[in-house]
Amino acid sequence: MISLTSYLIISFCLFIAGMTVMIARKNIIAMLLGIELILNAAAINFVAYTRFVNQNLDGHVMSLFIIVIAAAEAAVGLAIVIRFFQIKETIHIDDATELQS
Amino acid sequence: MALRYLASISHYIPEMLLCLTMAGLILIESTYGREVKGRAKGMVYAGAYLGLLATFVSLFKTMGTEPLQIFTGSIVIDSFGTLAKMVMVVGTAAAIYLGRQSLDIYEEVKSEFVILAIGVLIGGMLIVSANNMLIFYIGIETLSILSYVMASLKKNDERSSEAGLKYSLYGGITAGIMLFGMSHIFGVLGTIQFNEVIPAMAALTKTQSLIIMPAFVLFFAGIGYKIACVPFHMWSPDVYEGSPLPVTNFFSIVPKIAGVVALVRITNTFFGGDTSIVRETWVCLLMIASALTMTVGNVSAIGQRSVKRMLAYSSISHAGVMLLGVLVIDDLGARAILFYAVTYLFMTLVAFFITSFVQDHYGNDHFERFNGLISKHPLMSILMITVMFSLAGLPPLSGFVAKFNILAAIIAKKYYVLAVIAVLNSVVSLYYYLKIVRIMVFKDAESDETIPGFGFSNQLVITIMTLPVLLLGIFWEKLVVIAGGAKIFIQ
Repeated sequence: MISLTSYLIISFCLFIAGMTVMIARKNIIAMLLGIELILNAAAINFVAYTRFVNQNLDGHVMSLFIIVIAAAEAAVGLAIVIRFFQIKETIHIDDATELQS
Repeated sequence: MALRYLASISHYIPEMLLCLTMAGLILIESTYGREVKGRAKGMVYAGAYLGLLATFVSLFKTMGTEPLQIFTGSIVIDSFGTLAKMVMVVGTAAAIYLGRQSLDIYEEVKSEFVILAIGVLIGGMLIVSANNMLIFYIGIETLSILSYVMASLKKNDERSSEAGLKYSLYGGITAGIMLFGMSHIFGVLGTIQFNEVIPAMAALTKTQSLIIMPAFVLFFAGIGYKIACVPFHMWSPDVYEGSPLPVTNFFSIVPKIAGVVALVRITNTFFGGDTSIVRETWVCLLMIASALTMTVGNVSAIGQRSVKRMLAYSSISHAGVMLLGVLVIDDLGARAILFYAVTYLFMTLVAFFITSFVQDHYGNDHFERFNGLISKHPLMSILMITVMFSLAGLPPLSGFVAKFNILAAIIAKKYYVLAVIAVLNSVVSLYYYLKIVRIMVFKDAESDETIPGFGFSNQLVITIMTLPVLLLGIFWEKLVVIAGGAKIFIQ
């Protein structure tokens, strides 16, 4: 029997993994993947809480919206990364050094 | 049910008007965008101003009506939100005007700037009136995703695309953190409706309080990022510097005011009545954030060479002052914030307009470009000096009254240490605001050539925008009464 705790542990692990990716990886595409991990951790939480704690539809709707908006955000993020790549010919975050005072 | 939805729509006309405007502008741009350049541009601007005017009028008509919840309680319409929305509409209109005049945006993307600005405005209006975590999240994301595009509007410019990149990475991660916090708040309280939170909060056990406290800290990350308060402010100077100047002007007004007003609503709705440990945590968080925001913003602004970057840091510190009004959690604070938002709007607009025209002429906006401006453009320099004094909060101007209101609100709640920090920060800010004044008045100009951007119409617009800064400093009672009447609707 899978309990609420298991879901919470999994989502917490995803969250930590996403944060680690954001901090440790220098590749911008990998960082965008890290954002997706964090968003999915939240979505899992919403669904799990709805299933086990309160039985209304709020959490499900919320997680659907998270998926949709995450897709939109990824699309815009990737478009910006492509622009950055065409100008700088690199997708390494350490090369984004124009704006440091 | 269907009838209730129709009734809701009748209260949601301003936002619908804006959506229609945006759709219409996209249609115009895609139809005529490649044809005769001048005519299509004119149509886009005429349509945008018409839409914004209609929105403003319909917002004005809803002022003072009975507050109510629409769309099954997911959106709340009250005069507090309506006043903030009116401020944002005015800010957007001015930003669009600057976008047309500025040379910092490429000619072929000028109409895209208009469309995106209206989209961001829609997002801002959503979070200002959100009564539901879902609507709040959608609003924040509408605001953010369009802002990323705006920041990288100069497609072939290294700095602009880097600004967009940094903005989207920071924005994505804070949105994720906020959602993670929200999911735990939802799990513990069992609702995403803001107005159901208070009864749920009163019934919390000790363990539940312990779970929900870090969740609220995570939740704060999302809003804190939008208003650029200190632990989450790292993106702000870079993005402000890399974006084209009209975009920077827009960023320092609409998303910031929307974020602060949404924070006021959330704080007042969640913690209006109760005095539990969760409320203490939230207030403590806001206290630390506001003190740090003011200090870091002001201290970093001192050493800047670029006026735009200096204004970016100054807008961070102003967000800190506005946070002071949030943490008192009463009507006095809400009133002070509305007053502050109005004056901040006009002060920032004038400062950015003048900087923009100077930058268009010289190619950059370093302090030296302002040398001896007073001998070339006396009127503009005097207006800039007025605005700088007002931003620093000197007495006869509206910036002073705004700061005074905030200080009065926090002293009434006995936060003396914060009041002292705010006053000291005001002194620090005087240094860098007066630096511009000193340069304009006492340095000799590099050359005699006048700045073509300061034509008659632009000077007229800037003068008109300075008038509220002067007048609100003297005749402030009227606005205080209006802002005081704009109560937050809490159930």
